[in-house]
Amino acid sequence: MKTVSGEQRYWNPYIGGVLLGILLFLSFFLVGHGLGASGGVHRVAVAIEDLVIPEHVDKTPYIAQMAGGDRDPLSHWLVWEVAGILLGGFVSGLLRGRVRLQTYHGPQITPRARWAYALVGGTLMGYGARLARGCTSGQALSGGAVMSVGSWAFMFAVFAGGYGLAWFVRRLWQEA
Amino acid sequence: MSREGRLQLAGAALLLLASVALALHGQPNPEQKWAYMAPQYRHLLDERLVYIDPAELLSLMNDDYIQLVVYDVRNERDWNLFHLVDSERMPLESLPGQRDRLLALPENAVVVLVSNDENLATQAWKHLMVIAKPNAYILEGGLNHWLDIYGVAPEDAGGQDQTATVLQDGTMRHPFAQALGDRHAAAQPDEHHFPARSYEKRVRLIKKIAKAGGCS
Amino acid sequence: MAPFDFAALFGETGGYLVYLVIGFCFGFILESSGFGDSRILAAQFYFRRLNVLKVMFTAIVVAMLLIFWSTALGLLDYNEIWVKQTYLWPGIAGGIIMGVGFILGGYCPGTSLVSAATLKIDGMFFLAGFIAGAIGFGETVAHIEAFWHSGYLGVFTLPEFLGVETGVVVVLVVCLALAMFAFFEWLRRTVYGAGR
Repeated sequence: MKTVSGEQRYWNPYIGGVLLGILLFLSFFLVGHGLGASGGVHRVAVAIEDLVIPEHVDKTPYIAQMAGGDRDPLSHWLVWEVAGILLGGFVSGLLRGRVRLQTYHGPQITPRARWAYALVGGTLMGYGARLARGCTSGQALSGGAVMSVGSWAFMFAVFAGGYGLAWFVRRLWQEA
Repeated sequence: MSREGRLQLAGAALLLLASVALALHGQPNPEQKWAYMAPQYRHLLDERLVYIDPAELLSLMNDDYIQLVVYDVRNERDWNLFHLVDSERMPLESLPGQRDRLLALPENAVVVLVSNDENLATQAWKHLMVIAKPNAYILEGGLNHWLDIYGVAPEDAGGQDQTATVLQDGTMRHPFAQALGDRHAAAQPDEHHFPARSYEKRVRLIKKIAKAGGCS
Repeated sequence: MAPFDFAALFGETGGYLVYLVIGFCFGFILESSGFGDSRILAAQFYFRRLNVLKVMFTAIVVAMLLIFWSTALGLLDYNEIWVKQTYLWPGIAGGIIMGVGFILGGYCPGTSLVSAATLKIDGMFFLAGFIAGAIGFGETVAHIEAFWHSGYLGVFTLPEFLGVETGVVVVLVVCLALAMFAFFEWLRRTVYGAGR
């Protein structure tokens, strides 16, 4: 039951959803909490920062709790989960011939422009994910599954932000 | 309808059925949850591993490092007659409301449950295990036993027979002419005035597994 | 009763390996569902593709049913599960910012990892920006300290919020999801003809 998308065959979303749901459940069952991603990436960033300017890390409370003094920001489950995500994504792509150096972009903009927008979007995401104390994996999926009010509110806020701005930036993604 | 459509409908029906069945089955109430948990925790009660000697409770009360939480689960009348200094009156129905506080307790926190004898406190202990699994213990022999030891005025220690006739299990055996609450000397006895008791130390501090989930 | 402390059972590395495997499955599923492609992700916001919402809500509903059936049968201890604390205002504000970042950048953190893993340059730029944004937050959060802690409701769940039982909320969420899927199917057939 694979649907065709351009030249790619991706899984039927309902199947993917069921599998993801089972994985999410197993995560709660085995280790007591849900999935996560943004925190892991952040910790890698903090680890690099700690190598370069450790005194500053020690003095800034928000990051000191992760990397201040002797603490190793990388010895945390999120970092391992992120490593796993990279590996899993890579293997999946490899098996289907989707590992290729290229840029996905809307037909109306150039790859370079796409890079700029990706950078800006990523920066907003980085800031927003820390502000919300989670991202779509941690907050929306995991928090949503255990019915946290904050997570559901977060989820709808993401939709509001995305759908709200979509029409105004349609040139980024739409056909002419 | 296409094969895919039929499968989707079947999936939707399955989800709906599973959710309605879940709503009807309900989540476990404390008694049921204890029944599920009992195999793991029964032995703590059977082998008396969580019952602590009054002298151990007294040492906890005097220990500055330990953050002690004493829940007195008796009724209001008994509470007014006598209760330990710094204990909190916590009837069984109020225990669920303590969940957030209990889950947030630090590593050096110890919870002790007291009642007149042991039955009510033991029941409360099971409730706590179901609610939050804190590092909790039960006062061995309850306040009746506590008062057997510390209820005697220091100058009279070692003399009189303080134990009254055995009454109904769960009631206060010691008579109090007035409701002294925690102002009675036995509410915070000076351990130096009483002969040292030997007992097996049961309280242990549990290393907390840092609970963290999601994207932090 | 689950959950388990794997570090205690298998040592620290063993514990971490479990997370590696979980992450692997997560990344594999994401990539297989096409979420490493920013065009597919962005298309959600124009209703040209609907698979993100389908995957998300199916996953939430399936996980919810499995989790709460497990607690109902005494296989899983609900008190040991980590439920994120609700900080309402930073959560909503962060969510809106992320929504904007999503439509501009074309990814969310997890999917950008998958994209970068398959050598997509836009994914890599997104990650670079993400790191910058996260570091920027760490530097500036002290200035918005009050807001950062605002709207604190503790561990606040929908059943508590709506004043109904857990099981009832699960039924409501399932109905919401199914209604949404039915709407999508209708959209697919009437507006798009077949094939999305």
